[in-house]
Amino acid sequence: MKKNFLVALLAIMLAVPSFVFANGQSESAGDKEIEIRFSTIWVGADTKAAPVKELVDEFNTANAGKIKVIIEENPDADAYRSKINTMLGSGSAPDVFSFNPDQTSFMFYDSDVLMDFTDELKGDWASNFVDGAIESATINGKTKSLPFEMGYTPIWYNMDILEEAGVSEIPQTFDEFWDACEKIKAAGYVPTSQMTGGTNAWTSMLWYCHILNAIGGPNVWEKDFATDPVFVEAAEILNRMYQDGNTTVDAIGGDAGVSGGHFLAGQTAMFINGPWYIGRVESEAPEVFAATQIGPGPGDKYSNGQVGFPQSNLVAANTSDPAKKEAVLSFLKWMTTPENAAKISQASGAMLAVKTPGVTGNRVQTQFNEAVNNASFLQTHFQFNFATDVMAEFGQALAKMASGKATAEEFVAQIASKIR
Amino acid sequence: MQNKNGKMIFIFLLPVLILFSAFFIYPLAYVIATSFSKWNGFTAPQFVGFDNYKYLFSDENFRLSLRNNIVWAGVLGFIQVPLACIMAMILARRPKGWKFLRTVYFLPNVISQVALAMMWTAIYNAQNGVLNALLTFVGLGHLTNNWLGNMDTAFAAVIFQQVFYIGYFMIVILASRLSIPDSYYEAAELDGANILQQEFHITIPMLKPILITTITLALAYGMRHFESTFLMTGGGPAHSTSVMGIMLYTDMQALRYGEGNAIGATLVIFGGATIGLIRYFLTKNSDN
Amino acid sequence: MASKVVKEKKRLGFLGTFFKWFYLIFFLCITLLPLIWLFITSFKTNLEFETASAFSLPKVWQFGNYVKAISMSGLPRLFLNSIIVAVFATALNLIVSAMGAFAIAREKFKLNNLLLSVIMSGVLIPIIALMVPYFRLIKNLFLIDNLGGLILVYSAINLPISVYLIHGFMSTIPKELEEAAVIDGCTFSQRFTKVIFPLSQAGLATAGVLMFIYCWNEFTYAMLLTNSERARTLQLGIRYFKSQFVVDYTSMLAAIVITMIPTILVYVFMHDQIIGGMTNGAVKG
Repeated sequence: MKKNFLVALLAIMLAVPSFVFANGQSESAGDKEIEIRFSTIWVGADTKAAPVKELVDEFNTANAGKIKVIIEENPDADAYRSKINTMLGSGSAPDVFSFNPDQTSFMFYDSDVLMDFTDELKGDWASNFVDGAIESATINGKTKSLPFEMGYTPIWYNMDILEEAGVSEIPQTFDEFWDACEKIKAAGYVPTSQMTGGTNAWTSMLWYCHILNAIGGPNVWEKDFATDPVFVEAAEILNRMYQDGNTTVDAIGGDAGVSGGHFLAGQTAMFINGPWYIGRVESEAPEVFAATQIGPGPGDKYSNGQVGFPQSNLVAANTSDPAKKEAVLSFLKWMTTPENAAKISQASGAMLAVKTPGVTGNRVQTQFNEAVNNASFLQTHFQFNFATDVMAEFGQALAKMASGKATAEEFVAQIASKIR
Repeated sequence: MQNKNGKMIFIFLLPVLILFSAFFIYPLAYVIATSFSKWNGFTAPQFVGFDNYKYLFSDENFRLSLRNNIVWAGVLGFIQVPLACIMAMILARRPKGWKFLRTVYFLPNVISQVALAMMWTAIYNAQNGVLNALLTFVGLGHLTNNWLGNMDTAFAAVIFQQVFYIGYFMIVILASRLSIPDSYYEAAELDGANILQQEFHITIPMLKPILITTITLALAYGMRHFESTFLMTGGGPAHSTSVMGIMLYTDMQALRYGEGNAIGATLVIFGGATIGLIRYFLTKNSDN
Repeated sequence: MASKVVKEKKRLGFLGTFFKWFYLIFFLCITLLPLIWLFITSFKTNLEFETASAFSLPKVWQFGNYVKAISMSGLPRLFLNSIIVAVFATALNLIVSAMGAFAIAREKFKLNNLLLSVIMSGVLIPIIALMVPYFRLIKNLFLIDNLGGLILVYSAINLPISVYLIHGFMSTIPKELEEAAVIDGCTFSQRFTKVIFPLSQAGLATAGVLMFIYCWNEFTYAMLLTNSERARTLQLGIRYFKSQFVVDYTSMLAAIVITMIPTILVYVFMHDQIIGGMTNGAVKG
């Protein structure tokens, strides 16, 4: 019996190589059809998965025999990012992929692995995109990625809670805001949802951006983070949101599930997230959905600013084969026509950097659009303006400040120490 | 001394050597080489000498991470392994239901770390966590805490959730313990030795090689510990639970391969030296 | 066999017996906790998971989570791939490790200890630091998006642990057994196949179980080295519940429960059949 066991193991071992190479060959089935590998995270539970796949299928049918787009499915956004980084670091990239724009991913622009769209965008194509989108993806005159999905993150107010607390209007100034907080607490609710956890302290990072909008105005990211007092001042306000019961007790160390969960459960009055969260509120917390009103944060020197930023950009690998380049471009143009973008937006509720005429939405989605269109200015978030390690430091520094172990100055200094 | 089986030894070692060189020596050489450079992965690396190491050791957060890893190693090697050893000793005497128990004790190792981290995050939650509810229930309400959000308790909380998952080391020790022939114990029994004496005079000496193996492994796991902490706290709050692996991951995501690989190299060299030293003392003692 | 087992009789005393059962029950509770939690939570809604107490029962048992988990796209293929990868990687790893460990543990040559220490230090290498070199290596072998790539990487990553563990077990085998075999005319390789390999099956099974579980739960390299369903494993399927913005936690937990079952079976069988069967008869002092 022992001997048989050993023989079986050896047989398995010998079988390994043959079966390893068996499916290695199937790659080269090429007649003259050009294959485009589209590596995407818009799969599985993502609301964009179905419309994107539909568009790819339509494209393949229209170009049958000439071009074939193959979707490579990649769940898990963080792992996708590592994978793209690793592939680029190994000198290979998927034909078409996407990245979250920030100062780390824009480092890709320094390499020649990315296709340069600058010349292509001089024609009509550029007019498909919303104002300012192409500029946000242009560095040193080169546009090597196409803004696709936008993130807009206005404040979500639970009007049932505000009214029960005796606050009939969305607070317009910080005085009104703190006043509202006191009333909300008196009525037995928690004023704000916050979190220091996750990779980017998402909700609190967005609160910080809204505060900076109000006290720093439209060009706040052009100021020097390490030295300009506006960042310290905003940090003090953010810190106050963590003190005296202005947020939940689990906010320090909490992740997006904590901050979103409390809003969904009708425990917190004010919350921030993007349009992708609307669907979840509608399906899981209909009462909160009915009570939700979208609006700007409290104003100060500036008012009615909003936070908006490119969320995913489409990118292509550089290629020396002109036919392939042509094929990739025609696919990207297909994905960014207004009517196709409208299909994605309509089906998923996502807000895009491509114009999406005729898209209709529910009450909250309409309010989102209004909040963005009526904003006195739109400004990108912290994450867009810094490298990922600076972003990671934000949550760590915030936890320290909110625990009372660092001042607002120290909070800014701790983050600034990572800016290199 | 030249071994007469030299050729055969070489043949037997060949597969290990090939795989080990391809998957460890070559990558490690790459990690060490790039740790002396500033490199984002796709533009040419710039040689910067020991700058990355100087930066690391001047970084308060790195020193904290190193300390945390050492604590992890100590806890796993000198608390978890002894707990596992005691369990293996008890189970080897086949108490009622021992097969069932042995299976259950190992199960946390089968469950993915993702699920375990989700559970413990929920247990430790300040607002609706079970731990706080339990404390309030037994009248210790003043001890309730935001366990993973409090800089003073987060590290202990993260360690606590791992230390009792002894199954991994338990099955290693148990497998070795079960191969000690019963006749040894029968003989001791006849000589009038009680259970504790039997364990001390038969089991522990017989298990010494495997205990050294497990302790060494546990130390290594502690030094490279990453996953459960990363999933539960991401190294926070305020870096209090940070370990070297998390810093390395942050550097990789930020395309700072030079610095990241300096952490990797430090981990291997420093960890290897420490563990080698501890192993040396453990083996030396066992020779006496 | 059971009659041979030394019973504890009354030698342990009251305190000892109390301690023993306290110990067993304490660990039983702490290890059953995650299972109970997993089971309960996999029937909850996401909102309940986020806001209700961890061990509260679901208001309505959400069997839909399991429906979603089972209808995960390509589940049978992912399952098959996971099994192939885990079985072949474990086999490859065990054979290579056993041969190496045998040479190191049972023969004296100059580099004995050094070699073991060097291989052992491989355990320390943070695997995430190796993503770029591994990707390059597997790409150069044309094994990207191929089960063979995962098999190779998994069996190699675990070499240090397996060699070290199996070495630990082999070094406990009494020298006399081998000497007797040599006198009977066994060659070098026969000493391995006829004496040491069978006698170290407890170690092989232990290393095999750990290896199998590693393969089953590995995610980072499964994600990095594969692009399509043909080479993907269950862990990738589970992540389909985690999209960029919204995570369907409770369906993910249902999927985790389903995918956990094979590893539990492997563990129970490996341990019972191989270890249980071998230890009672193999070594006769």
